[in-house]
Amino acid sequence: METERIYTSSDRSSKIIAWIIIVIFFLIYYAVMAMLAPAKKMKALKSEYGYRQDENNPVDERIFTDSTYLDFLREKSFLQSRVTMAATDSICLSISLPDSTLNLEICGVTVHRAQIRRINVSTVFSGGNNYVILSMLSNPFTISKNFSSIEKEPLMIKMAPRDTSEYVPDIIPDTADYEPVNFIMEMDNGIRLHIYQEDKLKPGDGLYRSLFNIYHSLRYAAKTFVRIITFRIPDYQPYIKLRIPRSDAKIIYRALPEKGQIALSM
Amino acid sequence: MDEMKIPDDGARPDNARIPADQSLYRKIVDNKKVSEVLHKVFNWLLVLVIIASLLAFFMYGVAALQEIPLTGKTIITNTEELKKDALYKKKITLIKRDIQRLSWRYNSYTSGQSYMVINTTDNLFYLYRNKKLIRQGHCSTGSFKMLKTEEGRSWVFKTPKGKFWIHGKTENPPWRRPDWSFIEEGLPIPPQDHYSRWEYGVLGDYALSLGDGYLIHGTIYKRFLGMPVTHGCVRLNDNDLEAIFNTLNIGSKVYIF
Repeated sequence: METERIYTSSDRSSKIIAWIIIVIFFLIYYAVMAMLAPAKKMKALKSEYGYRQDENNPVDERIFTDSTYLDFLREKSFLQSRVTMAATDSICLSISLPDSTLNLEICGVTVHRAQIRRINVSTVFSGGNNYVILSMLSNPFTISKNFSSIEKEPLMIKMAPRDTSEYVPDIIPDTADYEPVNFIMEMDNGIRLHIYQEDKLKPGDGLYRSLFNIYHSLRYAAKTFVRIITFRIPDYQPYIKLRIPRSDAKIIYRALPEKGQIALSM
Repeated sequence: MDEMKIPDDGARPDNARIPADQSLYRKIVDNKKVSEVLHKVFNWLLVLVIIASLLAFFMYGVAALQEIPLTGKTIITNTEELKKDALYKKKITLIKRDIQRLSWRYNSYTSGQSYMVINTTDNLFYLYRNKKLIRQGHCSTGSFKMLKTEEGRSWVFKTPKGKFWIHGKTENPPWRRPDWSFIEEGLPIPPQDHYSRWEYGVLGDYALSLGDGYLIHGTIYKRFLGMPVTHGCVRLNDNDLEAIFNTLNIGSKVYIF
């Protein structure tokens, strides 16, 4: 009996060690695959927006490391993007991170301006190839998906009365009705724009934002997991996280169309 | 036997020196059932910690790993030699010209004429002349109510968003009640040219048409200004309406968001 027990115990511990090794190898594989994603994204961006030497019009590539040129390029890209948006009849958003402002624009007219209180961006934007990033920003992004804590159009359904006896006059809308405003907009080029309300107007606001973030982190983690376990490099989605006053966040989310356009300056 | 008892007696003072919680610990450890339960609890806790750590790794660890700075970062050189280069100067001149052209084009979108901006989320309006804000105040916009009938007809009472322009201006406008106005109150729908469709004085002194039946007009329900209560039109108080009527012309732009 004694011998058998010793044998079982060592068998169990060797099984545990084997599992630990498998898990560690899986985690290493997972981490490596995940870390390959930003490089893959940057490579794709380079091939799309990187500079291609023109034999007839050669350019000294040192110009792409010159701050004067890059400042002009930044200005040009943002303007170009806004002009493109202005040509549409739609409501658009322009984000200027250097000025910490968000502008709602309709046909080039700024109809609402909001101040950004906090900015957090992916390292791709701050630590990537400036020329490639600025070239990418010369075109507005199109929103492909919205995830929000509030409704875009808060529709209330009212059934028509059959006759005057059933008619009830409309009640005054409850203007004190309160919902925290946090939303994420996914762009067609894979960029994610997170906008959170900065002000904590009610005790649960911080907790609500954390839960909103946990839910969406889980969603992205699940997408990444599925890709990695099927031996594919996951899609890297660079993010821009902004905190603005609640009233501005609500106005911006409600004003932008489902497939609205966004111009960005970094 | 006595000799045997001596160490036992001697052991008592030693035991007495053990703190109460330690002896309790021994009792718990010696108790087989309690020990098994503790062992199970510990195992479950360990499993939970492992799952939580894995979740944290997948949710936050991976995201953090992806944000490790890339190697392709642009290092600003600003070489003086390059700045003297003719090609560099040409490139800078070209990009400056592009910026000027784009700035001019972008600024041309903002009209120097009078225009109005309506914020439907907060029910506010802003009136501009020569690109300067000259008046602002409360208004009422669409209630976002959907009226449905048993026959399957439906109307959504929302103010449209985007760029509009003033199609027409009317003084002392009458209101021609649409079908939904009767349906909403449970009244039978009269024929299109019936006198009961016409109401006077409910739209205030002026109305400015935005097209598709949407109007900027006055109201008799002034206490609702600043609230989303309309069927899609924009309601204003009398003074604001008069100022807007006198400032905006046919063709003036109205931006609604």
